[in-house]
Amino acid sequence: MPKLALFLILIHFLPFLCTSFSPENPSSRRVLVLLDDLALKSSHSVYFKSLQSRGFELDFKLADDPKIGLQRYGQYLYDGLILFCPTTERFGGSIDLAAILDFVDSGHDLIIAADNNASDLIREIATECGVDFDEDPAAMVIDHTSYAVSETEGDHTLIASDDFIKSNVLLGSEKIEAPVLFQGIGHSLSPANSLVLKVLSASPSAYSANPKSKLSSPPSLTGSAISLVSILQARNNARILISGSLVMFSNRFFRSGVQKAGTPTKHEKSGNEQFLTELSKWVFHERGHLKAVNIQHHKDGEADEPSMYRINDDLVYSVEIYEWSGRSWEPYVADDVQVQFYMMSPYVLKNLSTDKKGRYFTAFKVPDVYGVFQFKVEYQRLGYTSLSLSKQIPVRPYRHNEYERFIPAAYPYYGAAFSMMAGFFIFTAVHLYNK
Amino acid sequence: MRSASEHDKVEGFPVHFALNLVLVSSESRSKVLLAMARSTSKDAQALLHSFRSAYAATPTNLKIIDLYVGFAVFTALIQIAYIAIVGSFPFNAFLSGLLSCIGTAVLAVCLRIQVNRENKEFKDLPPERAFADFVLCNLVLHLVIMNFLG
Repeated sequence: MPKLALFLILIHFLPFLCTSFSPENPSSRRVLVLLDDLALKSSHSVYFKSLQSRGFELDFKLADDPKIGLQRYGQYLYDGLILFCPTTERFGGSIDLAAILDFVDSGHDLIIAADNNASDLIREIATECGVDFDEDPAAMVIDHTSYAVSETEGDHTLIASDDFIKSNVLLGSEKIEAPVLFQGIGHSLSPANSLVLKVLSASPSAYSANPKSKLSSPPSLTGSAISLVSILQARNNARILISGSLVMFSNRFFRSGVQKAGTPTKHEKSGNEQFLTELSKWVFHERGHLKAVNIQHHKDGEADEPSMYRINDDLVYSVEIYEWSGRSWEPYVADDVQVQFYMMSPYVLKNLSTDKKGRYFTAFKVPDVYGVFQFKVEYQRLGYTSLSLSKQIPVRPYRHNEYERFIPAAYPYYGAAFSMMAGFFIFTAVHLYNK
Repeated sequence: MRSASEHDKVEGFPVHFALNLVLVSSESRSKVLLAMARSTSKDAQALLHSFRSAYAATPTNLKIIDLYVGFAVFTALIQIAYIAIVGSFPFNAFLSGLLSCIGTAVLAVCLRIQVNRENKEFKDLPPERAFADFVLCNLVLHLVIMNFLG
């Protein structure tokens, strides 16, 4: 009996387990972490702990573990993937390049860290994401003016970079004071790709070459074109982080002090922890993830949505936009959301004003053109998910009896016609009774 | 470019001579013109005078009809001035207003012709018949006008 009671009680918790994850409330997500070497679990423990403290369940597996898989029976087992396995030539289990690309295409997030002995597979995954690592397998990013000062005279592959992208969404609102330590390979972004962004670029004096051999020809990747850490936000709002250094995630780099060559300030702690933690918040949709709900439009003065507008009507359009904060949907506050009243080209383009509680609204007059229009909101901002809303509505011309009854410009003519009638009456009276 | 006066001075001697001749002839010509103008104005005045005295002899009812025609034409002229200033936006209204004035004037003139006792052509037509025709036509005219006014 008590066992039955216990069972019944526990059954009631099942719905809560099911609601702990849903696309509407992306919390408590499962992330698969593929490693080359299980020692990474301890050598990168600070980074993993920062993820786990935010509610992520990390599943650590070796990259060639034969039992790993991203999906089973058509359902994805994980909500995110972290590839900290730069030397892996082939994944175990059912994971391969196509599986990873499908994973991203279905809207899930990905973090890839390469290193100076990155395998072809990792390079191929990065190329599919629009990021091209340097083809030379032995090349590393070298910077002779922006390296991190250390006691030993190194080969200047350990560089200190503070060339961050300017975005509060990506990197958080707190400024990163200390430069970020980096040691690894650099990549360039394909210029045709409009979805990749450089989050941490190398200084103009950096170049990508083999540190152990003399330079025989000018290096192909130089200067600020080298990106050290990049992000990609796909059109289905999946987010990918690609870093050229695995060791920048390590505890050693998180805790070490840094002094950029040529500057007098020595920072106690490098900016790695703040930089990578804030960036991982963005990658896992804890910042900059927008949703737009409740699109409404109606005539000024009425409350329900008509099926058709007439030209020169006054109408009110409103939409609610929320941003996911990691735990709940918060109202999104911005002053640059615009709505278009569009038919082949926008006839009306207006900024939406907000009541700061997530509701955006505006009022305008329907243009003097009839046809089938759309209310379009196209909102693409750096670091935010793109909003592409569209609602179709027809606009009709005036009905026959909706024109003004008496045209003011024609009043003289009305007056003339009526005065002729009056004159006729008066004349007939005078003519008849005149002797 | 040399100015016109300079040009004249260069051509100098023969032009002056020609001008003198022209001036002399133009003097006499202007005298002739003046005489002609004076005579035409005198004729016009005589014409007006004779017209006024003849008109005073017309019967009163015809004068009333003339007044009515004048009123109609005046209204038509006002409308033409208005459309010249403002433009022809409700063109149907303009046509309707103008046509009412012109139609009224035409029908009144027809009435005057038929009612005038000195008119040999309509000697046998009773003036009541003429008036009845006038009223009927005006009714039709105003019906059409009101329809077209819009």
